[in-house]
Amino acid sequence: MLITQLKPRETIEALTEGKKVFIINCHGCKEVHFPVEEADELQKAWTAQGKVTGILTTDYICNQENMELRLRKHMEEIQAADVVLVFSCGVGVQTIAAYLEEKKVCAACDTCPLPGFQGVTPLEYKCDQCGECYLNLTGGICPITACSKSLVNGQCGGAKNGRCEVDSDMECGWERIYRRLAQIGRLDVLKCPTQVRNFATDDDV
Amino acid sequence: MENYTKYRLKNNDELASVLADKDNLFIIACNKCFKEFETVDEPECAEFEKFAAEQGKTVTGTARVDFLCNKIQTERKLQDLIPEGTENVFVISCGLGIQTVADLAGKPVYAASNSLNYRGYHGMALTQKKCDACAQCYLNITGGVCPIVDCSKSLVNGQCGGAKNGKCEVDSSKDCAWEKIYQRLEKQGRLEEFLQQPVQLRDYSKINFKFVNEYVKAIRAERLEGYYGGVHPLERKEYTEHMALQRFPDPEEVVIPLSMHAGAPANPVVQVGDTVKVGQKIGEAAAFISSPVHSSVSGTVTAIEERGHATRGTCLSVVIKSDGKNTLHESVKPHKSLEELTCDEIVEIVKEAGIVGMGGAGFPTSVKLKPAKPVDTILLNGCECEPLLTADHRVLLEFADDVIYGLQAILKAVGAEKGVIVIEDNKPDAIQLMTEKTADLDNIEVVTAKTKYPQGAEKMLIKRVTGRKVPSGGLPADVGCIVSNISTTKAIADAILTGMPLIERVVTVTGERVKNPGNFIVKIGTNTKDLIEYCGGVTGDDVTIKAGGPMMGFLLTDTNVPIMKGSNGIIAVDTDHTVEQPCIKCGRCMDVCPMELSPLYFAKFADEENWQGMKEKNVMDCIECRCCEYICSSKIPLVTKIKAGKNAVRGMK
Repeated sequence: MLITQLKPRETIEALTEGKKVFIINCHGCKEVHFPVEEADELQKAWTAQGKVTGILTTDYICNQENMELRLRKHMEEIQAADVVLVFSCGVGVQTIAAYLEEKKVCAACDTCPLPGFQGVTPLEYKCDQCGECYLNLTGGICPITACSKSLVNGQCGGAKNGRCEVDSDMECGWERIYRRLAQIGRLDVLKCPTQVRNFATDDDV
Repeated sequence: MENYTKYRLKNNDELASVLADKDNLFIIACNKCFKEFETVDEPECAEFEKFAAEQGKTVTGTARVDFLCNKIQTERKLQDLIPEGTENVFVISCGLGIQTVADLAGKPVYAASNSLNYRGYHGMALTQKKCDACAQCYLNITGGVCPIVDCSKSLVNGQCGGAKNGKCEVDSSKDCAWEKIYQRLEKQGRLEEFLQQPVQLRDYSKINFKFVNEYVKAIRAERLEGYYGGVHPLERKEYTEHMALQRFPDPEEVVIPLSMHAGAPANPVVQVGDTVKVGQKIGEAAAFISSPVHSSVSGTVTAIEERGHATRGTCLSVVIKSDGKNTLHESVKPHKSLEELTCDEIVEIVKEAGIVGMGGAGFPTSVKLKPAKPVDTILLNGCECEPLLTADHRVLLEFADDVIYGLQAILKAVGAEKGVIVIEDNKPDAIQLMTEKTADLDNIEVVTAKTKYPQGAEKMLIKRVTGRKVPSGGLPADVGCIVSNISTTKAIADAILTGMPLIERVVTVTGERVKNPGNFIVKIGTNTKDLIEYCGGVTGDDVTIKAGGPMMGFLLTDTNVPIMKGSNGIIAVDTDHTVEQPCIKCGRCMDVCPMELSPLYFAKFADEENWQGMKEKNVMDCIECRCCEYICSSKIPLVTKIKAGKNAVRGMK
């Protein structure tokens, strides 16, 4: 699951200036974003200029075994290229770069984080994997992601008319939490001790 | 293989304090995702249940749910799940699942688990490669080794100097990423290039949550448009969509299978040596669900024997050598006008003309026209959502009047009030033409549907257009609808207007490996091989040929098979050589299944031959649209496994 954006046109042009290019498009994680049209337009123009030795459009290049099977058929085209340009998320580029260790492998896309992480469906919820779930104290609304400041001990006081002072498109997470707690008759949980967030990751612990 | 399990139970002290003032608990546990799919049930639910019991709490019930964050499916599963007397709901899941339940449960919801905090995982396969999604990919200057995740300090301008013997000073189990980067670049002779790079500054403001949020919302809206699930495969219809229909030259010999429909094969009514004419009945319907077959040429019957068949291996077929004269049989003459025909007469004409669903399934149309329940709406399926195929599109454009006439005949036959022609928005020319042609008709409407596969499947089409949901195991008539294919409807018009039974159809021959793709009017019984050769043959070797589209088509290992009533296309495409990998529980199959099933279980249960499990997961509801297989990140041949399961379940009765 990923969101990728094309790098700025100048950056990509600089990578490929005067070079023969082999292109790999990953349409994996279908429908969660890959800039298909922009990439297609760019690649058509290059093909017309004769700088493309081959294009492989495939999916899930992070699935190494299958990626290798598919790539093997294009080895000649890859050898003929000065640079292998990969249109995928960072995992895909790294997987290709490790496989074609002696070849210059470049990324044509930048990868943006999805809000929350890879549950099945990126819906409206977010989870920042803080490792110490606060939802018990907040009626099931996450203060880490629903509050711009990720405050864990109540509102900052900066909200205006229920809107966050950092991002006025956003409702104040703590007002939502208060309403939810009032609704389920659990305002008493606000009397819990002060929370201190532990920023260590599980790797560190 | 890495395991990216998302949560673990909170520690006992914390759980005890959360539980202290609460009782009558209902426990919901998520079965986790992104892990090897070895066990169906995860242990945490039982562990927590035991812990709660030790604390003297009453547990009103437990539930284990897959992909709790899939809100639509979870909402459905939660209905009537939580028993009376429950005061508190405890959820064991990552933060996404807990928040989902908190929104839906209508009761206080508590987390019994913490989400695991690891950084830098992204992508689908369970690989060790990580990506922190920094929104400014550095891999171009580092030879494809990521400095953000592989360097403990995420340095982007070279090593810190603290590494000892190539090991990181922060974590001695880790190689220094910058040494790896140096080695990789040295191997590629790119050190100079690297050293001349300007100093990199990491821009933390690049991450634009608004863009991401809006994008995700748009993508979900697209996925859920009209009905749950579905996919958007590349259409690749440009090969043939603008190519006018051509009549394929008359074959010298036709092989007409006695089974080109669902139900009992027809009984032959001719003998070897008989002379037959165009439109003459050569096989009689053998049962209520069956269909007659007719000769598509005039000539002599040379054999009645088992011949190759695209979907059944072999099938008893009538082989006719054409005399090249195309003499019409006496029975082929126009019927009365639609106004004069009664409902039963129309059904009888359709039955005698051997008309069956021409979208592939081949269900006898006359049976459909005698629904057991009242029908108010007839849907004409002009979606042609299969990639590559353009047969129905061309029929809509070139036989618009016939299609409308056929629809009027169906409306009259079943006494329905409204006919709806549904066309996907990738065929604007057909939409415009049909809208113009039906402008003066009060009972016919043209609906434009946003492209999504498998929109042309009956149940999806009905949901999309009318909002009605066909019950599990039910038929369209259960919700007052009949769905008819475009070519079938045109065949009905032909049968009434000219008396010609179903002896020819439109076939798209296409795919990136066909030399000269096109749309052809082809006589039933024509050899597929001849048709492909007429199109210039295939290019290169290692070609996959399918009867039908790339999603639902049947693989043809031998092209020496006849074109049948349901053959809407012959495609020649690149062979996919990927191999099945273990399931990683990414949940994509469940996300795209338009029947809202859980295909990952079908794969697991088929491998274990757990047919009862398949049955309980409603395998019989599967419409074999192949969305799950298309999206599967492990390339598991799900539909093959599902078919095996369906066969076994049928045998259980």
